[in-house]
Amino acid sequence: MKPDGIYLAGVNKIYKGRSKTVEALKDVSLSCPTSSFTALIGPSGCGKSTLMRIALGLETPDSGKVLLEGVTPAEATKIGKIGIAFQDAALLPWRSVRRNIEVPLNVLRKPIKDYTAKIQEMINLVGLNGFEDSLPGELSGGMRQRVSIARALVTTPKVLLMDEPFGALDQILRRQMNVELQRIWDETKATTLLVTHGIDEAIFLSDRVAIMHANPGKIVDIIDIPFERPRKMSLFSDTSFHKLSIQIAEILHGQ
Amino acid sequence: MVNEPSNSKTMYRNLILLVLLWEVVGRLDLVAGGALPSLSEIIIRMWIDRHDYPLHIGSTLYASSAGFLIGNILGVCAGVLFVLYPMTLRLSRGFNIAIFSLPPIAIAPILVITLSGMAPRIVLATMGVYFITMTATVVGLSQADSRTSELIRAYGGNKLQILRLVQFRSAIPSILAGFRIAAPNAVLGAILAEFGGGGRWGLGTYLLGSLGRGEPDRLWGIGLMATLISGASYFLFVVISNRFLKGSTSITLNTAIPTDITKNEHVLKTFFITMGAIFLPISIWWALIFFSGLPSMIAKTPWGVVEYLFFSNMAEAAQGRLVAAIAETLPITFIGMTAGLLFAFLLAIFSSLYFQVIRAFMPIALITQTMPLVALTPLLVLILGRGNSLTLWVTISVTFFPAFVTLTQGILLVPSLAKDLPKAYGGSKWQELIIVTIPASLPYLFAATRLTVPRALLGVMIAEWLATGKGLGNLLNQSRGYLDYGMIWTVAAVSVLLSIIFYQLVVYTERKVLGKLGMKTAE
Ligand SMILES: Nc1ncnc2c1ncn2[C@@H]1O[C@H](COP(=O)(O)OP(=O)(O)OP(=O)(O)O)[C@@H](O)[C@H]1O
Ligand SMILES: [Mg+2]
Repeated sequence: MKPDGIYLAGVNKIYKGRSKTVEALKDVSLSCPTSSFTALIGPSGCGKSTLMRIALGLETPDSGKVLLEGVTPAEATKIGKIGIAFQDAALLPWRSVRRNIEVPLNVLRKPIKDYTAKIQEMINLVGLNGFEDSLPGELSGGMRQRVSIARALVTTPKVLLMDEPFGALDQILRRQMNVELQRIWDETKATTLLVTHGIDEAIFLSDRVAIMHANPGKIVDIIDIPFERPRKMSLFSDTSFHKLSIQIAEILHGQ
Repeated sequence: MVNEPSNSKTMYRNLILLVLLWEVVGRLDLVAGGALPSLSEIIIRMWIDRHDYPLHIGSTLYASSAGFLIGNILGVCAGVLFVLYPMTLRLSRGFNIAIFSLPPIAIAPILVITLSGMAPRIVLATMGVYFITMTATVVGLSQADSRTSELIRAYGGNKLQILRLVQFRSAIPSILAGFRIAAPNAVLGAILAEFGGGGRWGLGTYLLGSLGRGEPDRLWGIGLMATLISGASYFLFVVISNRFLKGSTSITLNTAIPTDITKNEHVLKTFFITMGAIFLPISIWWALIFFSGLPSMIAKTPWGVVEYLFFSNMAEAAQGRLVAAIAETLPITFIGMTAGLLFAFLLAIFSSLYFQVIRAFMPIALITQTMPLVALTPLLVLILGRGNSLTLWVTISVTFFPAFVTLTQGILLVPSLAKDLPKAYGGSKWQELIIVTIPASLPYLFAATRLTVPRALLGVMIAEWLATGKGLGNLLNQSRGYLDYGMIWTVAAVSVLLSIIFYQLVVYTERKVLGKLGMKTAE
């Protein structure tokens, strides 16, 4: 049997601050089958980013098990199986768009010249052709965000972890990027975990929506999303889409 | 730094006015019966002396460039090490504070007796550079965007890759700024070492040699040349960093808090690290003596100094002289430093009321930063004679300017929004001053104090050494003459120790006061 793309079991994480202790994650288990798209939604401070950081190996859990494609996060990142996009584009201001996309390749010590075609493909994919040599300071917020998505995809990752990658975008651009992301995902079929604040975004993109509550941070429910792919913009105004949104909102607010 | 065209226009105007005034005053011999010659007289004299200059300049340039190079290499390497392994930073704290706060003139004689040729000058120049570049490197590297560092880490990158891909490049502006400040310091270090030890060539030697001959125009010429060299070294790096830093500033504010490494640490561990930090400089001193292979008569170990001061047959006499010297040096250091700081604080506060004043005065104040002020003491001797007022003025001048620059730049950083608040409620300029500007400039007052502590002691010791014949500076100079090695080492050790104590006192008060007010220390 093939291992799950993302597998977390019984993960606990407690932060001891100066004044109080925060149970950021309590007994969190989540398994995302290979090539599935999971959205993670929850109130601010419920531990979404913490979960993501643990999955990336940036933070060690107090207890519990984390596997990506059957190996530990540290091993998975080393062999370049992971793509990452953060809440904030986090670009290097002195590198051009193209050179920013090269960063993961630099870290993984891959020869850039084998990837020139791939890099161009990614730039085209996110619609930034013509801006290859621009510095991040010369781009709009949305364009920077798209650079970070291209950067996340350049290693052809098996697992894609994204923490509110569209957080900084306006509603219109956000919708456009949702459609783009769906297309990209369709092509790559990477196991994806997307942290988001938008219920509609979660439903539109994912196969399953995992809902979290805060204090302590835990996953309270996982809802399957039945819509056919590829999904179109018109889905946003569908009645069954609305029903599902309301259902998720109710779980989110604890009713 | 403020650098707009309209600004530089007023700066040039002020400079021209200054030079004209100088010319009139000099020609009419208004200052101390001709102790301040006019610029044209000085330049004519420089032309007459033109055959002396090349070798002196060459010698000073050689020592300061070598020191600059070595100090920067050491500073950058140490900075990288400290950031990669924060433990080493904590262990080296004592060493770093010692290097920062020791008055160079105090160890110049030691360097002269333990090393030979150009080495003492190069070492002193190196020491002037090391601390500045090291700090700039640490600050630059640790200010790097933690989000991009995390990205690298998330792709399995190690510390070295983070350093190479993110931190190093983003530290370059800070490191270049460090070079800029370090360059004049290298020149100053070389000149001070020339004061402190033999040798035939060097601007310091030339200055000292001409001091007794009552030729103000020559002395001023040498002083001007020294200023010119150190100013040029500063502006060289201004040009380089302006070239380099175009269009790559960070786009969003990095709000992540740097991780506190002392959190949850065992008390014993903290204790051992602190002990290590205290004993590291002492062990380095010991090791250097040991490996130099010099006779213990000349090169004293820490224990050698203790023995000299407490257990030798001259111990009592030595203690007496030392205590008397300290009693002469400390009060005037305090007075000079306090006066310099107070003067700077008042002027900075008041000029903040009149923004144009700051903007017009700032470039000139910045230029003074590049002058080897302490090394120009012989010029002040001409004007003020050899009394206590000389010591006082040297001390005030070396503390006033850096303090003024630090304070004014701090005040310029106060967000104008905060200033608008009292205004919006109809407050007067005075209310704005009391409610916003003064409290906001407090961290910078402390930063300025930290900065000026070692300079004040250096200023006093130089004046004592070269002119007044009092205090620690004189004791050092005398002991040098008598070949009283024990005393040379003792004075050096004591002045370093005094500096460290002063410095730590300021830091302690700063933490207490700012902590109470919920403010952060300014770097
Ligand atoms: N380094 C840390 N030290 C202490 N507490 C932390 C740390 N990081 C996160 N926390 C705490 O853990 C909890 C979860 O934080 P997390 O960043 O995972 O929330 P989130 O769900 O991503 O929120 P948001 O939607 O606002 O991004 C919060 O209460 C936060 O205060
Ligand atoms: Mg978050």
